Amino acid sequence: MHILNESGAVSARTSVGTRRYIAQRFVQTIIVWFMIITLNFIIFRVMPGDPRQALLGEGIPPELRQAIVERFGLDKSLIEQYFIYLVNLFQGDMGYSFSHFGEPVWKTIFDFRFANTFILMGASMAAAIIIGIVVGVIAAARRDTLIDTGSTVTFLVAYAMPVFWIGLLMLMFFGFQLGIIPLAGTITRGYVHVNFLDYWRDYLWHMTGPWIVLTLSFIGGFYLIMRDSVLDVFTQDYILAARAKGLKERTILFGHAMRNAMLPMVSVVAVNLPYLISGAMITEFVFSWSGLGLLTYHSVLSVDYPVLQGIFLFLASITVFANFLADVLYLYLDPRIRY
Amino acid sequence: MAVLEVENLKTYYYLGKESVKAVDGVSFKIEAKETLGLAGESGCGKTTTAYSIMRLLPENGRIVQGTIRLGDEEITALSEEEIRYLRWRKASIIFQYAMNAFNPVLRIGAQIVEVIREKEGVSKEEARATVSDLFDEVGLEPKRQRDYPHEFSGGMLQRAIIAQSLACDPMLVIADEPVTALDVIVQNKILDLLRKLQEKYELAVLFITHDLSVVAENCHNVGIMYAGNLVEVGSAKAVFKHNLHPYTSKLIGAFPSVIGEKKRLQFIPGTPPNLLNPPAGCRFHPRCPYAQDICKEKEPMYREIKQGHYAKCHFAGELSFEVIE
Repeated sequence: MHILNESGAVSARTSVGTRRYIAQRFVQTIIVWFMIITLNFIIFRVMPGDPRQALLGEGIPPELRQAIVERFGLDKSLIEQYFIYLVNLFQGDMGYSFSHFGEPVWKTIFDFRFANTFILMGASMAAAIIIGIVVGVIAAARRDTLIDTGSTVTFLVAYAMPVFWIGLLMLMFFGFQLGIIPLAGTITRGYVHVNFLDYWRDYLWHMTGPWIVLTLSFIGGFYLIMRDSVLDVFTQDYILAARAKGLKERTILFGHAMRNAMLPMVSVVAVNLPYLISGAMITEFVFSWSGLGLLTYHSVLSVDYPVLQGIFLFLASITVFANFLADVLYLYLDPRIRY
Repeated sequence: MAVLEVENLKTYYYLGKESVKAVDGVSFKIEAKETLGLAGESGCGKTTTAYSIMRLLPENGRIVQGTIRLGDEEITALSEEEIRYLRWRKASIIFQYAMNAFNPVLRIGAQIVEVIREKEGVSKEEARATVSDLFDEVGLEPKRQRDYPHEFSGGMLQRAIIAQSLACDPMLVIADEPVTALDVIVQNKILDLLRKLQEKYELAVLFITHDLSVVAENCHNVGIMYAGNLVEVGSAKAVFKHNLHPYTSKLIGAFPSVIGEKKRLQFIPGTPPNLLNPPAGCRFHPRCPYAQDICKEKEPMYREIKQGHYAKCHFAGELSFEVIE
C-alpha cells in the first residue's frame, strides 16, 4: 500500500510487519467466513418446519412430490447436501427461490433489490454520517450552548421515535395530504420515462420519504459518538498546543480534533453496516421500497428458505469483510498502529 | 524596553459564585536575552501566570485586574481574534510533555509547517525549508520532519518542540517545565540548546519549573511564587545567596545538596493554603516561623529591598536565615 510507504524510512522498516498483519487478518476473515457459511447451512436444517411442505403445498400427487424432492436433492443425507451446497456456492449458485417462480436466488437478491437497498442505505448512511460528524464536532466545540443542547435533543428524539411511525406520519402528511412525495414504490407505475435522467429524477423522488426517515433515525447514534469523542479529544494537550499556536478555530476542530475523534467512529460504522441493511426492513415495508428488507419480510412469510439463506449469507459476509476493512482503515487513520 | 512587563496581574478561576485566586497581584518584567525563572510548589500559580500571558485560560478563568505588556501590545484588552493573531508571532510556548503537545496522527513537520503558513502566509515549500533549517538548528535531521511523534524519543520530541517554538521568530518564549520529563543527561543537552538559541535569537525566556537546581543554573533572574503571590524576585545569585523571604529560604533548604556533608533535608510544615479562601494578611504566615501579629492582619507590600531585589514580606531584609551553602 502506498499510504504506508509514504512515511519514509521508519515505516519502510515496519511495512513488512504491516503486510503480514493484513495477510493474517485476511486469513482470519476467510476462516470466519467459512464458519458462517457452515452455520448458515446448519441453521436452516435444524429449524422447525419442513421446507418441503412450504415448497409443495397440499394436494400434490406423490409421484410429482417425489420427483421434486429428488430434483432439489432433499432426499440425500445432510453431509451430502452440505457438500452440494458448498460446491454450488463456489460456482455462484445459491439455489432457486421457492416463491419467485423458481428464479435463481442470486437473481432474486441481486437483480434489482440489492441495488435498491444499497442506494437507499448508502444515501441515508452517508447523509447521517456526514451530518452526525459535522454537527457532533460543532456541538462539542460549543458545549452547553443552544446549538449543543438543541441538536442533542433533536437527534435523540429522532433516534428514539420508531421508524414505522415517522414513516407513516410522513406518508400521511407529505404523501396523502400535501401530495409532495409518492406513496409507494421506487418508480411511478405505468409511467414511461423519456430518458435516463427522467428515470433517475423519478427514482430519487420516490426515495425522498424513506431516505429522510432512515437518515433521521441513523444520525443520533453517529452524532452522540462523535460529540463524545471530540469532547474527549479536547482535553488533550495537543489541542491546547494548537490553540497556543494561534491556529484558526476551524483548523483546530477539523484539522486536529476531528481526525483523532474519527477513530471510534470507524468501528461503529463497520459494525453497523449489515444492521443497517437488515434494519431498513421496516422502512422498506412502510414505503413499499422493493429492496432486501422487503424481500426478507416476504421470504419469512412464504418460508422461502433458499432466499433467506442467501440473504443471511450476504449480510454475514458484509459484516465480516467490513470489519476487515475497518482494521485496514485504522492503519491509515492512526499512524501509531503498525505491526 | 522590556519584552514582557506584567503589572499587578490577578487571574481568578470561577467555581459557581466562588473564585479561586490562582494568581493574585503578580508583577515582573523580562528583557530581551534574559531568562526569568518562575519557581514554586505545584498549584502556586506558575502555569496560570504563563497561560494568562498567552490568554489561554480555560473558560472559567479570567484576568480580573492588571496589565500584561508584550512588546508594544497591551494584551489583556485585546479581542480573541487579535490575540490569536499575536500568538506564536510574539510569544510561543515550549510544553512540558512534548509527547502530548504534538498531535499523534499528524507528521511533526506538518504541525510546524501549519503554524508557519498560518502566521507568515508562505508557500508549503518555503515553510518546509524553514522547518528543515529549524531542525538543523536544534540538532535533528531535517528528513525526520516526515516522522510521526511516536517515532521520536523524548529528547528528540523536546528538540522538535523547541524548533516549533522558534518557527515564527517570537520575542518571548515561555518554557513550561521544559525538561522535567527528561533524564538529567538529556536535560543538560536541552538546556544548553535553549541557552544557545536564546543568545542567537535574542529571546526573552520565561522559565517555569519547580526544580530549583535548573533555575539556579539557567536563569538570570528568579521569581519565587507562593499561593498566587510572587514573594521574591531578584537575580539568581541574590535570591539563592541572600534571600529575603522566609519561604524562599525554606524552599531552598528543602533541596538536597550534592556537595558538602550529608544532612537532613528541611521541610516546610503545613500545606499551601486553599486559594478559594486564602489566609488574611501574609499568605505564608501560618507556616512561617518568623510570623508576628502584623503578618496575620496586614498583607505585606511587594517592595524593592535592594537594587533589583524585591520581596513581599514585612520583615524583608531584617531577618537573618540560617546560611545555606
